[in-house]
Amino acid sequence: MPKKNPAKQPSSPATGGKAVVEAWLVQKGMQAFDFQQETWEYMRHGQSGIVNAPTGCGKTFSVFLGNFIQYIDAHPGEWPSKKNNGLQLLWITPLRALGKDLARAMQEVVNELGLPWQVGIRNGDTPQAERARQKLRMPEVLIITPESLHLLLATKEHRPLFASLRTIAVDEWHELMGSKRGVQVELAISYLLQLAEENKNRPQPLQLWGISATIGNLDQAKEVLLHPLATQGVIVKSQLQKKNAVHSIIPEEIETYPWAGHMGIKLIEQVIPIIERSNTTLIFINTRGMAERWYQALLDVAPQLSGAIALHHGSIEQELRLWVEEALHQQKLKAVVATASLDLGVDFRPVDTVIQVGSPKGVSRFLQRAGRAGHQPGEISHVYFLPTHSLELLEAAALKTAIEQQEMESKEPLLLCFDVLCQFLCTLAVGDGFTQQMIRPVVERCWCFQHMTSQDWQQVMLHITKGGKALDQYDEYKKVEEVNGLYRITNRRLALRHRLHIGTIVSDAMLKVKLVSGGYIGHIEEYFISRLQPGDVFTLAGRNVELVQIKDMTVLVRKSNQKKSQVPSWNGGRMSLSANLGKVLRHEMHKVATQEQHAQPSPEIAALTPLFQLQASISHIPNNNELLIEHHQSKEGYHLLVYPFEGRQVHEAMSAILAYRISRLVPISFSIAMNDYGFELLSDQPIPVDDTNAYELFSTEDLFVAMQHSTNLVEMSTRKFRDIAVIGGLVFQGMPGEQKKARHLQSSASLLFRVFKEFDADNILLRQAFQEVYEQQMEERRLRQAFQRIESNSIVIKWPEKLTPLSFPIIADGLNRNNLSSEKLEDRIKKMAAALNGRS
Amino acid sequence: MHAFDWFGNHFVLSEHRVIFWEEQQTIIASDLHLGKSGHFRKSGIAIPQEIMKQDLMRLFHVLQHFGAKKILVVGDMFHSTANQELQWFAKWRNDLPHIEWVLIQGNHDILQPDWYAAQHIALHDTFTIGNLLFTHEPPALQLPVGTQAVISGHIHPGIHLSGAAKQQMRLPCFYFSQHQCILPAFGVFTGTHLIKPKKQDRIFAIANQTIIPIQ
Repeated sequence: MPKKNPAKQPSSPATGGKAVVEAWLVQKGMQAFDFQQETWEYMRHGQSGIVNAPTGCGKTFSVFLGNFIQYIDAHPGEWPSKKNNGLQLLWITPLRALGKDLARAMQEVVNELGLPWQVGIRNGDTPQAERARQKLRMPEVLIITPESLHLLLATKEHRPLFASLRTIAVDEWHELMGSKRGVQVELAISYLLQLAEENKNRPQPLQLWGISATIGNLDQAKEVLLHPLATQGVIVKSQLQKKNAVHSIIPEEIETYPWAGHMGIKLIEQVIPIIERSNTTLIFINTRGMAERWYQALLDVAPQLSGAIALHHGSIEQELRLWVEEALHQQKLKAVVATASLDLGVDFRPVDTVIQVGSPKGVSRFLQRAGRAGHQPGEISHVYFLPTHSLELLEAAALKTAIEQQEMESKEPLLLCFDVLCQFLCTLAVGDGFTQQMIRPVVERCWCFQHMTSQDWQQVMLHITKGGKALDQYDEYKKVEEVNGLYRITNRRLALRHRLHIGTIVSDAMLKVKLVSGGYIGHIEEYFISRLQPGDVFTLAGRNVELVQIKDMTVLVRKSNQKKSQVPSWNGGRMSLSANLGKVLRHEMHKVATQEQHAQPSPEIAALTPLFQLQASISHIPNNNELLIEHHQSKEGYHLLVYPFEGRQVHEAMSAILAYRISRLVPISFSIAMNDYGFELLSDQPIPVDDTNAYELFSTEDLFVAMQHSTNLVEMSTRKFRDIAVIGGLVFQGMPGEQKKARHLQSSASLLFRVFKEFDADNILLRQAFQEVYEQQMEERRLRQAFQRIESNSIVIKWPEKLTPLSFPIIADGLNRNNLSSEKLEDRIKKMAAALNGRS
Repeated sequence: MHAFDWFGNHFVLSEHRVIFWEEQQTIIASDLHLGKSGHFRKSGIAIPQEIMKQDLMRLFHVLQHFGAKKILVVGDMFHSTANQELQWFAKWRNDLPHIEWVLIQGNHDILQPDWYAAQHIALHDTFTIGNLLFTHEPPALQLPVGTQAVISGHIHPGIHLSGAAKQQMRLPCFYFSQHQCILPAFGVFTGTHLIKPKKQDRIFAIANQTIIPIQ
C-alpha cells in the first residue's frame, strides 16, 4: 500500500489515469513510492518486467494501479461509466489464502477510484456457481492460482475469455520459479500470449509483470518470466530497506539441551513472555506434525492464552484457516502457530513478532518469514530463532551473517519437465483441443522447454496419444485422440479424471476428516490413517479425536478427551540447506576453530562453547581448510562420518560417490544417512578409509563415472519418479464415489518405476526422473566444486570413542537412509537371514 | 529352484514364482493379474504393454520346463473387466490345448463364466487334490476332513530383511506355516505385502533369479 510517507514529489505534472490515481492518493493522504511511479511509467509505455521490493512495501499496488492508469488512459471520458469490459488484468498468485485479501483491497481501490470494475477470484475454494458466472461475464480483474488457470484452459471455448486481457501479473514469482508450478505458469503465459497474437483485433500486445522478493538471480528470474515475449524487459527495484532484528532464543543450560531429534518445546517457557509482550506473534514451524505438538504445548503451558492462539497449516479445513486469517487481520489473536502455509505475502498488520522454530534452511525463506512481522515499510521486524537442537544455534549465527552480507540464494529454474508438459497438453485436449502446429511453438517459447528436441516432442506426443511404445495388436490405450490434426480427449470419464488431477503439488492421497456429529476438521494422509485402528486417538487441527471408521474416502472421528494421542507425521519433503548458507556455516565453524573474533563471539557461538570444547577434546573442530572425518564403532556397526557442510542435497550425492568408491576396494554394504552438516556411512564391517587413501576417495577424477555407477542413482530417481508419475498422470489417486473401480487402477510409483525401468527404459517420464537427479541433486558443477574444495583441503581423520556433538544428529536421524552394496545379493540375504534366525 | 517336501508331496519352488508339484505334474501359481497393463492403458495410464507379454512368456517357459500337464491358479488370474489383452491370452491359451487348467476364483476374477468356459478353464471356489486344499484367500475356517494343508494366494507375500548396520531389503517370497502355504504373486506388475513370519514358519525369498531359504 502506498504510504503516508514523505517521498519526493512526482517530477512531471500528471495527466489522464495517473492524475486520477494521484488525486485519489492525495485524498487518502498518501503518496506513491518512487518504484511504484516508475512501474506505472514503464507500464504506460507498454513495457514488461519485474518489480522487486521487500514484502509489505506495496509491490502489488505498483502493478495493479499501473493497470488502472493504462485503462483510464485508453478510455478517456468513458471510463467512469463503461461497464462489463471483459478481463483486463489476470493476477496469478501461488497461494489461495492471498486471494481473498487481495481481492478485497483491489475492489476497495477500484470503488474509490470510481471505476465500475469487478474484482473476481478463481481458485480451489471458488463455488461452482461463481465459476459459471465468471465464464458468462468475466470480471475485469481475476485473481487466480496456477492450477485454476490451467483448469480454465481445460474448459471449452475459453479463448473469448482472454480477448481483452491487457496485463498478466505473476505474484511471488520468486516462489514459483524453480518449482513445477512455475513451469505450469510459464506454459499458461506462453499459451495466452499465443492467443493474444492470433487475435488480430487486439489494440495492444499483452504485458507481463512479475513481482518478486529479492533472490540471488533476479536477472535470470526476469529472463525466465519474459522468455516467451522475447523482450529484455526491466527490473524496477525499490530502494526501501526492510530492517530485521534477529534474536536467538538460547537454552539456559546448553549442556543439557538435546543434541538432536527434538522440537524445541523445552524452550517454550522462553516463548510465552515474547508472545505476551508482543502485539501478535507468528510462530513458524517446519512441519505440520510439529506445529500440532507446539500448539498443544502452548495451551498446556499457558492456559491463559487459550482462545487467543490458533493453528494454521495446509491440512486444516479451509473454513478454519480462513477464520484464523480473518482473526489475524482483526487483531483477535495473540499468536498463531503456522507452517509454510502462512509464508507468503499476506499482509497481517497486527503481526509485529515472528518466531522461527528450527532451521529455516535458507536466507530468503528466513527473510520472507521475518517480513511477516512489522509488515509496514520502515518498521523493524523482530524475529526470534528458536533452535530445536543445540547445533542449530550455529545456523542462527550463520543466518545473521548471511543477512548482514545480503547473501541471498538463487532459485534455479527447471528445465524439460515433461511431466508438466504431458499434463498441460492433456489439459488443452480436455478443453478445445490443440494442433501440433499451434502448440509446439507455445511450448518451445517457454524457458523450461527452450532446449526441447524434435525427438523429445515426438516422444511426448507418442506418450499421450499412443501410451508410449505399444504392441498395437491387443492395445486399447486411450487418452488423447487425433481427428484431422486436432488433438482432444473426448471420453468424458477420462476428461473428468484429468481435471481432478491438474496440478503439480503432489501429496499422498488425502482423506477428509469429519466428526460423526457433523463438520469437517481437515485432511489427513492415507498413509498415516492406514496405520491406525478404530479407537486410536490422533491430533488434527489442535484437537484430539478418536478414529471411528473410514468410509468413502472420509475418516469419521469423534471428539476425545484422552490426553495421549498420536501426531500425524506428514510426509513432507525435507528441505536442504541452501549452498549459500552452507558456505556461511563453514565460515562460522572456521571462526570457532581458529578462535577468530574471540574478543567478541556472537551470543550463539558463546552459548555453544561447552559443546565445541567437547567436540575439540574428543575429536576435532574443522577450520575452513580442513575436512573432518570420524571413525566410530558402536553396537550398530562401523560408522564413518564426513563433514563437508554443503547441505543435505550435495551430501546425498557425495555420500553415494564415496560409498561407491569404497565399495570398489572391498565387497561391502552401506546404509547411508545425511543432514546439512555431513553424512554417515554405516557398515557391518570396518570401513577402509585412512590417511593412505582418503585423498584418492575424494578425487575429482572420473567423478561423472562414479556418479553414474553409484546405485544410489536408482534409489534417488525412484523418489523423483513419485512426483513425476502423479503429475504425468501415471498414478491415479481415485476420485470421490469411485473407490471400487479406482482400486483396480492403483499402483505405487515405485512399482511403476520398476516396470518402466525393466520394460520401457526409454520412456520419457522415466528419463526425466534420472535427469532430475542429475540436474538437481547431482548437479555436476556444484558437486565438482565441492570435491575440488575438499581436494585442496587437508583431511583430518579422528577415531573418537564416544559420539561427538557433530555426529550425533546425523546418526540419530534414522529416516530416509540410502543403501549401497558391492556384496553379492545372495551373500547379503544369507547374512540377514542369519541375523533374523539368531534373534528369533 | 528349490526342492521342498510338504505333507508327503514333492514340490519344486521356482524362481519364476510358481510351485511345480511332481506327483501331479502340475504348476501351481497365484495372482497373475493378467490384463492389468491393458486395464491401465484403457484408462489412459500409459503402462508398458510389454508386461503382459513377459508374464505369458514366463508362464509358457515354466510349463515347458517342467513338462507340466496341468496348471492350478489359486486366484486373481485376471486383473479386472474384459479388455483386448484377454483376447491375446485366449489366443495364447489356444496354442496349449493339452494343458488342463483350473482356476480358483479370486476377488479380481470378475469375468463372465462363459468366457472361462470358452478358454477351457475350470472354475472353482475351492479345490481339493489329495491331502491339499486350494483356496484364493487363506481360510479362517478349519480344514475339511481328509485334507491336511491349504495352498492360497491373494496376499502377495513379501519379507522384510534387516541385518547389522541398518541393512534392509524387501523381497517377494513363498510362505509356509504349519498347515498353510501362500504363494508369491506371479505377475510382474504386482507389489508385495509384508508378512511377519513366526519362528517355526518357512520362508523362501526370491532374489536375483534364485530361491533363497530364509528360515
